[in-house]
Amino acid sequence: MKAEFINPFVGAAYDIIKRVAAVEATKGELSLANSPVRGDEVNVVIGVTGDLTGQIIFCLSEATALVFASKMLMNLTTDSFNELAKSAICEMGNMILGRAVTTLGERGYFCTLTPPALFIGKNVVVSTQVLKFLVIPLETKYGPITINAALEEKKE
Amino acid sequence: MQRIRVGSLVPGMILAQDVLIPRTGVTLLPMNTVLTMEMIRRIGSFNIDEVYIKVPERSNKEKNEEILAPVMAETHEKSVAAVEQVITNFRKDSFTQEAIEGLVGDLLEQVEMDADLLLNLTHMKSYDNYLFSHAVNVSIISILIGEQLGYEKEELNQLGVAALLHDIGMLKIAVETWRKTGTLTPEEYQEVRKHPEYGAELLAGMSAEIQAVAAQHHERYDGSGYPRGLKGSEINYKARIVALADVYEACISDRPYRERLTPQEAIKLIVANQEGFDPNILKVFLLTMAIYPIGTFVRLNTGEIGKVIRVSKNQPFRPVLSLYFDRQGELLGQPIRLDLSADVNHLLYIEDTIPAPEHKKLSEKVATAFSHRPWG
Repeated sequence: MKAEFINPFVGAAYDIIKRVAAVEATKGELSLANSPVRGDEVNVVIGVTGDLTGQIIFCLSEATALVFASKMLMNLTTDSFNELAKSAICEMGNMILGRAVTTLGERGYFCTLTPPALFIGKNVVVSTQVLKFLVIPLETKYGPITINAALEEKKE
Repeated sequence: MQRIRVGSLVPGMILAQDVLIPRTGVTLLPMNTVLTMEMIRRIGSFNIDEVYIKVPERSNKEKNEEILAPVMAETHEKSVAAVEQVITNFRKDSFTQEAIEGLVGDLLEQVEMDADLLLNLTHMKSYDNYLFSHAVNVSIISILIGEQLGYEKEELNQLGVAALLHDIGMLKIAVETWRKTGTLTPEEYQEVRKHPEYGAELLAGMSAEIQAVAAQHHERYDGSGYPRGLKGSEINYKARIVALADVYEACISDRPYRERLTPQEAIKLIVANQEGFDPNILKVFLLTMAIYPIGTFVRLNTGEIGKVIRVSKNQPFRPVLSLYFDRQGELLGQPIRLDLSADVNHLLYIEDTIPAPEHKKLSEKVATAFSHRPWG
């Protein structure tokens, strides 16, 4: 997977995390892993189609997800992962990818997104279309968010 | 058919002719394609200046809205006038009671017909007599919350009536006081704070619940309200619903002492003071009104500006918009309806909302340009 595909996702994640929660994210060591992705407590899966195809899977703990959901909801206290918190965390994933795909478009790769799907539970396992995926660990003040990116260029 | 610069294309527009890749004759997109953001970017990546789009045909749904909206606006206006009649001549007789129940029956019917259209009316115009439009709107919003809480018809009726009468105690306060533009004197302030009790007195003889709503709609869940400083479950449940509807409606209305907030600013203010409200009712309220409530002007991540005209159930972040301005801020020839919850529109998201002063300017521009369209 080319770095030029991955950087827009990392950049968009930085931007959106900062905009939503006013905190900086830092990137940890990248690594490659083989499908399936083993999830965390809260997992948002978004499909990418077009010039690039595959999936992006955001994984985070429930506690971290609740903080970000609350920020998305104008600081509404959400002590359980209810419908509002769920749509908030999906929207945050959507925003990150919406922004990333905009940047990819500027570089000549045109893609579209599928609506986010949310999976809850530590034992979630997501099989990706692309067998190898890149693990991008992000660290924030409110806990880690892992972006698993399984993308490839569309074959002509 | 209309020729349009590529930079002014917005998602949801429909191609009137094939778009060809320059110098090749290869079709990039065939006519009748409904444009998505991805397609607009693709067109933009070629050296194409202009394309032809169709003047959008209105769907049956939109046509219905156009017929229904003025009818509902008229009924809303009539309800306000009727409430004025009934409340100012309030008597504890069966005639008055029937009149009020009839009014609430009409509101319930309209909620069933099209709740979003009705909600759009709650901030369409300011009335001279705020007290009565406020009563109608609080009743509408309370009914919407009650519906989401699973209330049956009978219960909704009760709630609607109680909400309609919640501020009746204001009639005992001098008109000059509640219409005052400046700060109230301590004496006036003390007097205004008595209106819940006055209300309950006026309503003596009606159901205990209706009295409780009037008496307790300024109580707050955390005990910070008045007159008695009740908290939590000490406050009547319907009074907790009306309390929330009351604050929201007051925020989105022009008042003598301040201009209205945008619907989203009102929601933000309520969430910032969330301790004052029942958390479950607040949650249901947010799901009903959504994070971007009807009437809010929003800017997309791609730069277009539109107004929220419908809320998507279970997708509080992804409403249906009526787009009015393109990426350059130019007014579109006609509004484009865009459903952010549709699969093809997930590249888009709401970047921010337009703050109150600019919000007002945009509303006015749109109202002037599309005065023939009462809705969207």
